[in-house]
Amino acid sequence: MQLRLQQVSVVRQQRRLLDAVDLTLDPGQLLALVGPNGAGKTTLLRAMLGLTAADQGQIWLGDTGVSSLRPRERAARIAWLPQHSNGAEDLSALEVVTAARFRFDESFAHSAREAQRALERVGVGAVAERALATLSGGERQRVALAGLLAQAAPILLVDEPANHLDPAQQIDVYRLLGELWREGKSIALVTHDVNLLRHLGDAERVRVAGMAQGKLRFEATLAAPELPQQLGELFGVQMRALSLDGQRVLMPERNP
Amino acid sequence: MKRAAAFVLVALLLTTLSLWLGPSFSGETRDFVFFELRVPRLLVGALVGATLSISGAAFQAVFNNPLATPSTVGTTAGATLGALLALSLDVGGGVLGVSLLTAAAFAGALTTTLLVSGLAASARLSKNDVLLAGIAVTLAASALASGVQYASDARALVAAAQWSLGQLPQVGYRGVWLIGPFALTTLLGLLALGRPLQNLALGEDLAQAQGVHVTRLRFLVLLLASLGVAACVAWCGPIAFVGLIVPHLVRLLVGPSLRSLLPLSFIGGAAFLVLCDAIARALLPGRELPVGVITAALGAPALVFLVSRSRRE
Repeated sequence: MQLRLQQVSVVRQQRRLLDAVDLTLDPGQLLALVGPNGAGKTTLLRAMLGLTAADQGQIWLGDTGVSSLRPRERAARIAWLPQHSNGAEDLSALEVVTAARFRFDESFAHSAREAQRALERVGVGAVAERALATLSGGERQRVALAGLLAQAAPILLVDEPANHLDPAQQIDVYRLLGELWREGKSIALVTHDVNLLRHLGDAERVRVAGMAQGKLRFEATLAAPELPQQLGELFGVQMRALSLDGQRVLMPERNP
Repeated sequence: MKRAAAFVLVALLLTTLSLWLGPSFSGETRDFVFFELRVPRLLVGALVGATLSISGAAFQAVFNNPLATPSTVGTTAGATLGALLALSLDVGGGVLGVSLLTAAAFAGALTTTLLVSGLAASARLSKNDVLLAGIAVTLAASALASGVQYASDARALVAAAQWSLGQLPQVGYRGVWLIGPFALTTLLGLLALGRPLQNLALGEDLAQAQGVHVTRLRFLVLLLASLGVAACVAWCGPIAFVGLIVPHLVRLLVGPSLRSLLPLSFIGGAAFLVLCDAIARALLPGRELPVGVITAALGAPALVFLVSRSRRE
């Protein structure tokens, strides 16, 4: 199912958080939204979910406006991994992931079984009974990813999935997202760190959209030769491209 | 699971045993006291305790605030205002078979509650806005109640003071039939909302993204809980601490999952209030204390204990 934004603007306290954004996410596509802090990336994901109401423009899911869907119908199509998970410190990992099955009409026991499977899929099946508060940052992020999986929606909106993780965990999280993408999920992903995107897989097919001040500035594939230049301008730095085992790695330098 | 089972067992045992707590009688008096006084009183106590504490647990979940109580949205303050008005106007008689005092308290409780529930149904207001509105309505109703008290005579003031202590006065089963339908609506309704309430613990935004209609849930919880609480407060007067303390005690025992917290708060609340009531009638020979005094006397130290415990963690 296609997710399409048409001239979407969000204005809050006289600030344009999103400014006439046009964007589509086709089935099976992976779109990475990059840009400096305050560019509007998180707002864009929230608007796609209907959590932040658009002041102008339309957001379509297939032929239906996202805002006209009931929460449960929307949850069947789009799942979200927020940047910060808050609260629920005392709940067990299994309880947190089971909650993500809310959209299904199924018994609690069935939800719990699916939740356990999701936890195992992301490699934290062993901590199912432990409270979130006792888990490491990496384990917690995997639990959140298990929730995303358990909701079993075709479109995933993922906000800074590797924040505060150590390098090994960061790579694991991106590899897992790459796997989900190859299994047919559509993914919109917000990140600051373009270099992590290469762990997703096929750089020719990873779309990168640059955002600044609420506007979409460019779109290119991860493999595009012009990407370093575009990213440099977007972040206001010089982006040096290095080649490492045939893969391009970008190194930001302060402009002289 | 074992803890939950043990909790239920102890609660049921205490509830049943409380029937034999208090002065003992013999012969025909004994049967009357047992079947016409103690059993109906136990049933009313159980209904009220269960309603207050499951509502407290649900409000704590909806507002994501450990200090939320069934009175947070102005229910008790509204009932008090209604009761005071009835007492000071000194109109006798009744409505639909209940005393005017009870009817006025119920009407007062529903008025404040519907006001706050209506606000809760607005998507523009955050849960903290609703909480603040509840506090504002409580303060406003209390201020009005003070005004009514100022204008009342001494007889009305004494009656009002007695009412505000909270009691489970029972002869026969009328209270059971009157509170029963409201309390059962509240209990069954809130139990059915356990799953979406659990999602709220992850944050309102994530719950919404997972398919929960957050404003509708908030409205339903406020309405369902307040209906039962209004009936309880109208019949018994305000009974403090049950709705605050019992959910916390249950949480300490079996954890925060609403799947167990809601039903166990229901059972624990019933047992707690019935036991407090039995203590209230057994403590002073030949006299009864209002149950509200016992719940507050037990509840306040329990709250201090809980707070100090959570500080250490």
